[in-house]
Amino acid sequence: MNKFLYALLSIVLLAACTSETVSDARQEAAQPQIYPDYNGVTVPVNIAPLCFGMADEKVLCVDAVITDSHGNDLHCQGEESVDFDIDDWHELLDQNRGDSLRVTVSAKYEDGWHTYLPFSIYVSPDSIDYGICYRLIEPGYEVWSKMGIYERDLSSFDERALIENTQFEGCVNCHSFNRGNPADMSLHIRGAHGATLLRHGNGPFEAYNTKTDQTLGLCVYPYWHPSGRYVAYSTNSTSQLFHSAGHNRVEVFDTASDLQVYDVEKNELLLSPILKQDSVYETFPVFSADGRSLYFCAARALPEKSLALDSIHYNLCRVDFNPETGTFGTRIDTIVAAGTQGKSVSFPRPSYDGRFLCYTLSDYGQFSIWHHEADLWLLDLSTGESKPMAAANSKDTESFHNWSTNSRWMVLSSRRDDGLYTRPYFCHVDAKGVVGKAFMLPQRNPRKFYRERFMSFNVPDFIIAPTEFDGNKASRIINDESRKDFGVRK
Amino acid sequence: MINSISTDDFSQMKDIRTLCTLIFGVAVMLFFGMAYPHHLHYQEQFQLFLFDSDYVWGIVRLPGGVADLLGRFCTQFFLYAWVGAFIIGFLLACIQLFTLRLVNWGRLYGLSFLPSCLLWLFLLDENALLGGVWSVLLTLLASWIYGKLPKGLIRGILLVVAVPVLYWIAGPISIVFFLLQAPTPRLNAKYYGVFVLWVAMLVVAAQYLTVPAGSLWGGIHYHRYPTESATLLWGASLSAFVLAFLARVCRKWVDVPCKLVVTLSSFAVVVMAMGGVAWKNANFKAEKTMQYDFMACHQQWNRIIDAINTEKPNNQIGVTVQNLALAMRGMLPQRMFDYNQNGLLGLLPAVQRDATTPMPTAEAFYQLGMVNVAQRTVFEAQESILDFQKSGRCYKRLAQTNLINGNYEVARKYLTALQKTIFYSEWADQTMALLGDEKAINGHPEYGRLRKMAYKDDFYFSDQATPTMLEDLYNRNKDNSLAYQYMMAAFMLTGDRDSFMKYAPTNR
Repeated sequence: MNKFLYALLSIVLLAACTSETVSDARQEAAQPQIYPDYNGVTVPVNIAPLCFGMADEKVLCVDAVITDSHGNDLHCQGEESVDFDIDDWHELLDQNRGDSLRVTVSAKYEDGWHTYLPFSIYVSPDSIDYGICYRLIEPGYEVWSKMGIYERDLSSFDERALIENTQFEGCVNCHSFNRGNPADMSLHIRGAHGATLLRHGNGPFEAYNTKTDQTLGLCVYPYWHPSGRYVAYSTNSTSQLFHSAGHNRVEVFDTASDLQVYDVEKNELLLSPILKQDSVYETFPVFSADGRSLYFCAARALPEKSLALDSIHYNLCRVDFNPETGTFGTRIDTIVAAGTQGKSVSFPRPSYDGRFLCYTLSDYGQFSIWHHEADLWLLDLSTGESKPMAAANSKDTESFHNWSTNSRWMVLSSRRDDGLYTRPYFCHVDAKGVVGKAFMLPQRNPRKFYRERFMSFNVPDFIIAPTEFDGNKASRIINDESRKDFGVRK
Repeated sequence: MINSISTDDFSQMKDIRTLCTLIFGVAVMLFFGMAYPHHLHYQEQFQLFLFDSDYVWGIVRLPGGVADLLGRFCTQFFLYAWVGAFIIGFLLACIQLFTLRLVNWGRLYGLSFLPSCLLWLFLLDENALLGGVWSVLLTLLASWIYGKLPKGLIRGILLVVAVPVLYWIAGPISIVFFLLQAPTPRLNAKYYGVFVLWVAMLVVAAQYLTVPAGSLWGGIHYHRYPTESATLLWGASLSAFVLAFLARVCRKWVDVPCKLVVTLSSFAVVVMAMGGVAWKNANFKAEKTMQYDFMACHQQWNRIIDAINTEKPNNQIGVTVQNLALAMRGMLPQRMFDYNQNGLLGLLPAVQRDATTPMPTAEAFYQLGMVNVAQRTVFEAQESILDFQKSGRCYKRLAQTNLINGNYEVARKYLTALQKTIFYSEWADQTMALLGDEKAINGHPEYGRLRKMAYKDDFYFSDQATPTMLEDLYNRNKDNSLAYQYMMAAFMLTGDRDSFMKYAPTNR
């Protein structure tokens, strides 16, 4: 139905605008200011059309001609935004793998047409995964309204709800896949029907109670072991406080947190005393690409009842993990000592080829989405050197992120557009760690879409195929009181 | 099913019946306009009707969506209580007229008012949604139209088509349309076939719609509480079927020429009895509370003071609004003990996780210059609306707080949405012009003042304002008369004599 509406809308827009010929245009000496900013971006060959409009809103009509070195062109015109034909777009990109496209934009204002200097879009031969999965939620404080988990096909504009909280009482979060493969999936439900839904090896979903008498609480922040046998979790006693002045709104912090690994096959949590120290907050565990290390963030715990939240600085740490025996090493290495620079690491994500690890760096704490200064940094695991991902970062928040399965693309959460609503961006990272300019998740009419959607894209993560998630079946499992308890290895 | 009333009878009774319907509609209108206006304001503030295709599609794509859309469309007019009262009176009168046309009611004419009266009772609940009323109306309208069709194959085909279509338009209440066909003898085979179709349709829909399966049977948006079953609404719609059925069964006794006095008596008995029940079940205490909230929302400080002088508020919202009005008129420390107090919780109550009680508190936070706290309070209140709708009142305030804080792109989002409304668009247009214009905002009597009053030094706030916070606010800007009054009131309420004396007028 949505497709039909868009088709109808397109016809109306075409009728209103396509008869326009760009004539007597004033040639501008600058490149156009467009929204979203796709000027000079590197895109995967299978990405959906990069529709855009002019950055200012006084434009009456926008016209774009994309040309390539083979003499092909793609032309589109629209009132608010150009909306390229999706088949023509994919054909053009396919013909230009590893090459550049040249985009010439003309815009009609009250005083007539203006034509700008062309800009380039580089088409990487590296493809991107099928899609992304994310939670849509209003960027609020403690109470939630409508929310859900959704998947989006990156080669088109199709979005599908996997499950929404209209189907049960509670909230959904912590969706996680094993390297983007929905055959191994974890989904956490909070509220009256709290549970963790786990699917292993494309089997049926089971609802678990992840709280045990030997752990702090429910298991959160899941990360799958590459073998699919283990899931690393943290347990966090989390609190919130609210800023009374300035642009910051919320401070989310832990008053205690530990790590553990769940053995999916044996239904038991693997605990280690060095990962559950009272004097340390441990959180955000992730397995290395080879599955033999566990990276995580750790900070010295605050004294009880202290609210010196800006003194909590998380370092990036690592401990050995033996997947054969399910045992941990006895020594914790500090990989990035952010605390010594008065900074804090969150959301470590190793690339699947084992070359890099991307993390978020903010001034303090671990809930970086509410930190305007938060940026992404790239750690070269072969040299141990970190550098900011300048081309992907902005003046505002960059927070959660993850790698595509070929480790050449990253999806990242950014609040650069309005300082509050999180949107997914993508950037290319080549084998040498050179980061391309980030570009926004394409939409048919990006300004209208993003301005009118009062939702943040929360925890966007790649998926290699549609999730095959039956929301109605899942909601029946959630609404059923039956839960399987996590065991603990003795 | 629908019998034609004889022309003679109809002409004899037509005028008087029209008058009865009119009287009933006016009575309903007067009730909601005079006795229950703030319930209508309450309804309006928990939805935001947008003239936007995505918004409309989001509603009509679900069963009962068209009725829901019509309900929401009408509810936006509840901003003006008399318009809302007229709409309700009109809808209930229409439902009575369609009920009347189901059968020849004869001496039981008064019972044709029963479904409408039950809907009147239904609407006493501030969380009962007008979409439910539209569902009943559309179902009865469809039944009336269907009854006009000549018998035959086309009529049978239309029945099969009408059942799913009407289900999608009006939701499960439309089962009444199907039930109303029951007494027609020749329809038996088709009748049960249609019932199977109806059930199958719901089972299939349950597989594809992201709603609880139970709501497909009970109604998705008849009541604001998703888990609440709209018993009175179902009672009203089923009563139309049951009464019509009884009238048919007892045709020999009912369908006889009756005198005018019998018609009028049956009307008077039913309407007065049900009107009495409505009056007895009306929640006038809640109405009073809603009135305080309404007056605070519209900053009617003098009216609030008149109201508290007539009757001293004794609930949290009333006391909060009372203290705010006293402060806005510069009388809080002097006169606060002329009225009921509730400690600090009566001054600035702890922020609750519901959609109603935080709103007057948020107004106080806003007027004090605690802009971030007001923003959070309003945002949380809006998120707490149980049927996930948005609020024009909240959007407006969130646009203001973001504008004051300089978050212009976020303010623009709210204003863009408000531009798609009837009653908030003009304000949104005016406010949109301010975005990014620092000079205009700083010179604005409200936004400029609140920018000056707002905290500059950050601290963490949880749920309860403390005297220290008010003291900080006042010390930040000594021109903040409201902060001074609240601070002094807080010292008095907590018995902090030393602090009170420190800031007492003679020592300032």
